[in-house]
Amino acid sequence: MKLQELRETLRDFWGEFRKVKYGMVGLVMFFLFLLVVIFEPVLIPFPETGQRWRDITYWEDNPKNAAPVWVNWFKRKDYTPQAVLDKPDFNERKAANTQVAEAVFTYDYKYDLPPIDLLLRATGKGLLNLAVHLERPDGLSIELTKKSFRLSGEAPVRLSLDKEAVGAVGDFLKTYEDPDVLRGVSLFTVKPVEVFFARAAPGILRNPAPLKGEYRIKLTCVAVGSGAFLKEPALTVAGRVFGLMGTDGSKRDIWSGVIVGTKWALLIGLLTSAVAVIIGVFYGVTSAYFGGAVDLVLMRIYEVFQSIPLLPVMIVVSAVFKPSIWMMILMMCAFFWVGSVRTVRSMGLQIKEETYVEAAHALGASQGRIIFKHMLPQVIPYAFASMALQVPVSIVYEASVSLLGLGDATIVTWGQILHDAMQGGAVLQGIWWWIIPPGLFIALMGMTFAFIGFAMDTILNPKLRTR
Amino acid sequence: MEKLEVKKIKLYYFTSKGVIHALDGVSFELRAGETLGVVGESGCGKTTLGTALLNMPTPPGRIVAGEIRLDGVDILKLNENELRKQIRWEKMAMVFQGAMNCLTPVYTIRKQMMETILSHRKMAKEEAEARIIKYLNLVGLSADVLRRYPHELSGGMKQRIVIATALFLEPQIVICDEPTTALDVVVQAQIINLLKKLKQQLKLSFIFITHDLATEAEVADRILVMYAGKVAEIGTNEQIYGPRGAAHPYTQLLMAATPRLRQKVDQLAFIPGTPPDLLAPPAGCRFHLRCPQVMARCRQEEPPLIEIEPAHTVACWRWKQ
Amino acid sequence: MSEVILEVKDLKKWFPLKRSLGQWLRGQRTWMRAVDGVSFQIKKGEIFGLIGESGCGKTTTGKLIMKLIEPTGGQIFFRGEDVTHLSPEALKAYKREVQMIFQDPYASMNPRFRLHQVLAEPLTIHRIGANEQEKRALAAEALTKVKLTPASDFLDRFSHMLSGGQRQRAATARTLILSPSFIVADEPVSMVDLSTRAELLQMMKDIQEELGLTYLYITHDLSTARYFADRIAVMYLGRIVEMGTADELIDHPLHPYTKALIAAVPEPVPGRVNLIKEIPIKGEIPSAAQIPSGCRFHPRCPFAVDDCRHLTAAKLILAGPGHAVACWRYKELD
Repeated sequence: MKLQELRETLRDFWGEFRKVKYGMVGLVMFFLFLLVVIFEPVLIPFPETGQRWRDITYWEDNPKNAAPVWVNWFKRKDYTPQAVLDKPDFNERKAANTQVAEAVFTYDYKYDLPPIDLLLRATGKGLLNLAVHLERPDGLSIELTKKSFRLSGEAPVRLSLDKEAVGAVGDFLKTYEDPDVLRGVSLFTVKPVEVFFARAAPGILRNPAPLKGEYRIKLTCVAVGSGAFLKEPALTVAGRVFGLMGTDGSKRDIWSGVIVGTKWALLIGLLTSAVAVIIGVFYGVTSAYFGGAVDLVLMRIYEVFQSIPLLPVMIVVSAVFKPSIWMMILMMCAFFWVGSVRTVRSMGLQIKEETYVEAAHALGASQGRIIFKHMLPQVIPYAFASMALQVPVSIVYEASVSLLGLGDATIVTWGQILHDAMQGGAVLQGIWWWIIPPGLFIALMGMTFAFIGFAMDTILNPKLRTR
Repeated sequence: MEKLEVKKIKLYYFTSKGVIHALDGVSFELRAGETLGVVGESGCGKTTLGTALLNMPTPPGRIVAGEIRLDGVDILKLNENELRKQIRWEKMAMVFQGAMNCLTPVYTIRKQMMETILSHRKMAKEEAEARIIKYLNLVGLSADVLRRYPHELSGGMKQRIVIATALFLEPQIVICDEPTTALDVVVQAQIINLLKKLKQQLKLSFIFITHDLATEAEVADRILVMYAGKVAEIGTNEQIYGPRGAAHPYTQLLMAATPRLRQKVDQLAFIPGTPPDLLAPPAGCRFHLRCPQVMARCRQEEPPLIEIEPAHTVACWRWKQ
Repeated sequence: MSEVILEVKDLKKWFPLKRSLGQWLRGQRTWMRAVDGVSFQIKKGEIFGLIGESGCGKTTTGKLIMKLIEPTGGQIFFRGEDVTHLSPEALKAYKREVQMIFQDPYASMNPRFRLHQVLAEPLTIHRIGANEQEKRALAAEALTKVKLTPASDFLDRFSHMLSGGQRQRAATARTLILSPSFIVADEPVSMVDLSTRAELLQMMKDIQEELGLTYLYITHDLSTARYFADRIAVMYLGRIVEMGTADELIDHPLHPYTKALIAAVPEPVPGRVNLIKEIPIKGEIPSAAQIPSGCRFHPRCPFAVDDCRHLTAAKLILAGPGHAVACWRYKELD
């Protein structure tokens, strides 16, 4: 019985809502955001973004301040994008106390500007003797480096060829580059990876031409000792452009950060506004229903809260206590409830004077019945609308506090990304991909709820109703 | 003014649910110095008729056919500017239902009346004020009310102010929509007396719209009974209220349903059912669903207005009975 | 017909007005004396009409009897028991016996409720009916009583889906569902179209006879009061000025105010168009915050003499069988 009525009410509401175009736009956007939250694990390339946003080692294979991949569409020369090759041809032989492993990575290079680095990663144990060879498309083969690791337990191995191949690059250059050019150059300023991906001809240092084609990077490992081994080798080609939204100054993937931030934005927005509006509605209705002295006291308390500016308070509290996100939500709730009080109270005062409330009194209805059966249901539509309108406000407040660097350090929010961008000098360096995505998402989320809120307001607010 | 002629006027409201046939071919005429009473139940198109006469239908209403001739000029053919300059409030004024509750609470009466007069006529403030006071005196108020705010005035005083405002520009026709409905009976009688005096002094013509047949009997020279957007009957005061009685069954029933103070009535009549939905008016006579004397013809053919005696026309197939 | 079901004695309701700072400092209080000493008796099975202009205190009297507001003074007796001040439980029980029909049936029903919910509300409040089905059956029964049939067609409608007359019937059904013995009907037909007004009054009369109800019929409309009520009391500025049987009071009014009221009522008869009607009353009703001294009606009374201004107001005195009037000069004027 009750359920059916609710369904009918909702159906009526839906019938009206779909006529409001911007409301529908808002709703579609809201569902898109929800999908983003639901499919977060699929969407982000770095599954631990949420937990390890501030862990430098998690991001160390990425390039720094790399633009998004799609800038290649607008450039004459293609930058090498980030690539991870984790399925090499892997052979291993075991004999007595040694394991000999060989992994061959095939990389198809077809860009104009070479990668920044080649990074080899693996897991190993015991004494590992590593050798890396590069076979270029022009048939040249170079031994890049040789290195030994001694690992007592099972541990990761990381090899940056940018650093390790400095010796090899010197030999390579001597073979092909004009000695006059080389004389004045310190080998430490040479980027080995850039050299290896260039045509072997004079000018390779000053004016390299890309050598496109299939490169093979061969990793040979001789693991000595009982139980010594090497497994799961992977090669990361650290590109000059990265992912959908590039990386920031700490090599973090901005796309992952923004996606992970979505759920926090939704949580902050919805939770804060829901709690705040529920408090506000009860407060307003109570004040209106009881009137007199109760009303007087409640309204004075309300005015005190209303006249305190929240942002400075939040900034001070956050600076002193470094609160968690939950504390911030609580703090916002403690101030945002005032938003709906006035309107709810005036609605309540109006409803209280309605003849049907008087009729209910005449029938002998109790106070509770009148509040819950007659007053609250009338206010609820308004409450939903004001909830939707409160969402963007909460998100922006959290972002503001985070922008100042006072946010919860254990999570990723859009405001914090913006804060980092500011700190990292993104504006001065023109790293627009660090600023625009989080900013745009804040704006979009705000718009989503503003649209929904306005649409609900036009439908549910009797004063705006044009019928 | 000599004559206001309304011919087959049709005003429809084009709503999202369909077309409401609010006025469906209403014709009548109003002579100089006469009061025409318009009566009918709520929703029969009385107020719509008033707005139609000024050619200012309330959206989504549109006048789709007909003529409204004021001294031979069809005002439906005039543009908005001409209407404002020549007709509305200049020749025809309307006292809207509840207008007395629409006075702005934050301005004094002086300011509100001044604004009205100055927006229509260019004149010095002193001249305008003199004119305002003249009309206030005419409706029985002293110049004292000018400095008051609406909430300081009684309903009767506010209604008088609204009437005075309508008279400013010296119109010849005043349309009054339920001018006495929300007032107490004593005040009602006072306002009716006022309207009668104004009619005599200023040689005004009135269209007096009300749902109350008893009030109409006090003011109207002729009575137009409306039902569901159509004219049911037009007759003189004597013909409608006289001993021979009205000819249309609807008028007869309304009359029998009106309680009389000075007569002991054991049983009042009533009209069963409700007025028809004007989104889809019934075929034939629009009253046939509620008419006690309905016959087969009423259900199929729409009765024309027949003149059954001089000045008395009725739209009923059975008027002879 | 002789048993008194309801009696009010010297009932008063004064509303405090906002004071200026000066008044507050001086400890002065000003009051709007909406009801200022009203006494009457209503017999079982009777329709008692309470008539007056807006602001005369008739609706306040109705609300006092309905116990929606607390009286400032005086007493109310229901079936001989003093019900002026009641405990919450006794009040709830009282409200099963005494019910109210409001002027605006549309406003008196929550627009979000369906009719069966509207009708179930009194049942829920008074814990009648074990479950939804039972309440629905009772609601249907009440609708049948007010001739909203078939009831099943109406139970699931909202009040805005009803016509004016149907709405007032539904509102009446809600008051009847608790089977009260006394109903305060505050202008029950003033918002209803003329064509259905008589039908509604007839229905109210029918159920009165069927259920042995007593009505307090509050109205400003003398014509329907004459038709509907057995006895009429005329109120002016918070006091009853005249009281008598309907026919007697209207055919032979004694108080100048009643006479003016009656003179003002229009009549659907021909030949009055060019007649400017003489109404024997001056000015307008004063505010209940500034009640004139002496007889309250004297500033408006065309027959007022010095005595009316200075003597305390005349008490209601019996002028004839069942006909009381509060006027010093009624004998001279008659």
